[in-house]
Amino acid sequence: MADLCAVVGVGQTKHAACRADVSIAGLVREAVDRALTDANITIADVDAIVIGKAPDSLEGVAMPELWLADALAAHGKPVFRVHTAGSVGGSTAIVAAQHVMAGIHGTVLTIGFEKQSDGNAMWALSVPIPFGMPVHAGAGGYFSPIVRGYIGRSGAPKHIGAMVAVKDRTNACKNPYAHLHEPDWTLEKALETPMLWDPIRFIETCPSSDGAMALVLMSEERADKHAGPKAWVHATSMRSEPTAFAGREQVSPVAGEMCAADLWRKAGIKNPAEEIDVVEMYVPFAWFEPMWLENLGFAPRNEGWRWVEDGVTEMGGSLPVNPSGGVLSSNPIGASGMLRFGEAAMQVMGKAGEHQIDGAKKAVGHAYGGGSQFFAMWLVSSTKP
Amino acid sequence: MVGDVFVAPLVVAYPYKRTVGTLLSRFFTSLSECRLEGTRGSDGRVFFPPAEFDPVTGAPLTEWVSLSDTGTVSTWAWQETPVEGQPLGHPFAWALITIDGTDVPMLHAVDAGSPDNIAIGTKVKVRWAQDRPGGVTDIACFDVVGGAS
Repeated sequence: MADLCAVVGVGQTKHAACRADVSIAGLVREAVDRALTDANITIADVDAIVIGKAPDSLEGVAMPELWLADALAAHGKPVFRVHTAGSVGGSTAIVAAQHVMAGIHGTVLTIGFEKQSDGNAMWALSVPIPFGMPVHAGAGGYFSPIVRGYIGRSGAPKHIGAMVAVKDRTNACKNPYAHLHEPDWTLEKALETPMLWDPIRFIETCPSSDGAMALVLMSEERADKHAGPKAWVHATSMRSEPTAFAGREQVSPVAGEMCAADLWRKAGIKNPAEEIDVVEMYVPFAWFEPMWLENLGFAPRNEGWRWVEDGVTEMGGSLPVNPSGGVLSSNPIGASGMLRFGEAAMQVMGKAGEHQIDGAKKAVGHAYGGGSQFFAMWLVSSTKP
Repeated sequence: MVGDVFVAPLVVAYPYKRTVGTLLSRFFTSLSECRLEGTRGSDGRVFFPPAEFDPVTGAPLTEWVSLSDTGTVSTWAWQETPVEGQPLGHPFAWALITIDGTDVPMLHAVDAGSPDNIAIGTKVKVRWAQDRPGGVTDIACFDVVGGAS
């Protein structure tokens, strides 16, 4: 039986297109200092460090976790690196939690980061592998036919993506750390933005950001003695599958459905839409909100778009999704999953400020990566399981 | 082809940039202006190139120390046949050089002419590059200024 684990500190950078004022080390350190301050501990209290980021090709620094030891004040401590593409921020937090749940470390610091401005993620992920047809269209080009597939089979009207985007960009204005603060979007204006990768419009795509997120996790023994709000980890789950195989379900990948089903089972959740108060979902392209609502078991198949249209996922709706503004408003790739996990923790800790969902007790953080093939989720609560 | 097995070529080339932050910006700018500046750590040690975070406490370092352009060879290796992209086109020494007033050596090249002219303890002096865009190669190499002590 695993030990309990709680989030006791959350810290993130101000995300921006280019944080030229800090090095990669300084960017990571900004999030770490805020998380330690939030937890009211010092780096000396930390037993181990778990760090994740998207592929090293994004900044061109191989194994940056070794170079970052000074910035992490990691001398004499174990440092672990996690790799799972875009879902890495989520799986890194899960690996950190597992260090605590296994009874190995009492206090673990975990960090996800990306300095996208040092490279260009769209092209760094498009190495022309021999014999694979080079598309040179980035993530949007990869996902657009899958979005079209969803629209085709669900009968969703074409404005749903823009509705999600306007919601998330509006929510982001309540989050001081969000990259994009664009308060003036309307659905009408959103639908006038250029079509980038038909059917994905400009507004329906995430920005490219520099940023980092850090969390402090503690064992039950330490957390019980620790003053301040906590987010107790009720369940974690990870699943993966190949990018392409015969008969693959591309719109609603089986690995994502399995990940969610495993999470609900472990946390004793029978009706996710009823029992979960708020979701921080990995939505880098707006259409993925209705697609993941279905994939994760919140909405029935082909009905997710109706929830968007009915305002269910707005801040005042019955299942708010991405009150922080989500990936659509800040996307430092290696941090984006941990931002979802950390924002979920902030909600149940009552620390989300202007984008707080009143009375949130159970929250879900969700991340996916690669070609919708790596999934990571956790469920956190204001009370122990 | 390798024997009868086809081998596909794959060349990956891709440009990056480095955002170095405010502290290291000062370091690179000072090099382009022919000055050496290091940072002082919590235990009094001086680092060149400057450390951004204290190797002992992890705290950000903020105290700058102006340094001379001379140092001492801590140890070295001889490069008899330089290859393209290395700092000198003729035989030279790779050396760990402790800049005077600092406590930790840095790696650079010494244009010693012959391995007979360099030893642990040899005094060296910076030779500045003609073009200094801001980088450790703004120091073209080091020249020997005295024998081993």
